[in-house]
Amino acid sequence: MHSIFARLNNSTSLLSSCLMGLLFAISLTTFLFNEEAHGQIVPASVKVLDARLPRQRYRTQEAVFTQFNVTADLTPLFHWNTKQVFVYLQAEYNNSKGVQNEVVVWDRIVRRKSDAVIRTRAMSKYSIRDLTRSFKKIPGAHFTLKYNIMPYVGVLTSGDIARTSELVTFPAAQRAVS
Amino acid sequence: MSNVINELLEGKIDFEGQRLVETLVSWVMIIAAVISFIAGFALQSLQVTFGLFAASIVALAFVIIPPWPMFNANPVKWLPAHTEAQDTKAKAS
Repeated sequence: MHSIFARLNNSTSLLSSCLMGLLFAISLTTFLFNEEAHGQIVPASVKVLDARLPRQRYRTQEAVFTQFNVTADLTPLFHWNTKQVFVYLQAEYNNSKGVQNEVVVWDRIVRRKSDAVIRTRAMSKYSIRDLTRSFKKIPGAHFTLKYNIMPYVGVLTSGDIARTSELVTFPAAQRAVS
Repeated sequence: MSNVINELLEGKIDFEGQRLVETLVSWVMIIAAVISFIAGFALQSLQVTFGLFAASIVALAFVIIPPWPMFNANPVKWLPAHTEAQDTKAKAS
């Protein structure tokens, strides 16, 4: 500590330890916030279209397009360590071969607390397509609205907001327009 | 001229000053971290936490880095220098 350089060196080494401790303490506070978000999802329309496969001219594959009325209040999820919240609507179904599938149909990134009240018609951004190429033998799917909290420091936490109470059935396939 | 610049850059302080700097740094830094954590948690803002912490670190650096006179208040007292006459007397006896 006799010269400027020695003082700078010694105190920055303690500074890095202090900063690490501070960040660790902040990341631990994530576990203190256990507020639940509330919401509701109501299916508005489910369509199955016979869509063309890319690069395969004469084969088609069924694709499911859904619309949901999504209402959710995510404000309780915003605390000091929340950078953004990722909300997504997930379909869960067993296909005709008995394989359990989970497909994300719609998602949104909420960056600010002022945008945290969601009231929207969630049109499916990503269609559901199955390896068996058909939804005829599949009775239907359950849909769940889920979230991931992305923190500034620490671990990613996740949870469920809402789930459809009844199975959402898939109707017969329509010929795709175009 | 270069001698003066070198001394300014080196910024030497005495032993008591070094002890003072050591205790100052460790106490102020740890207390600043604790206070900024509590303040940020109370106001639910990471900006407050890191703003407060950064401000206290800058203030601390301003206090400890330049060789202020208070760190040179107890200079080391050397024994008086030997003169040639004393040396010859010591050899003779």
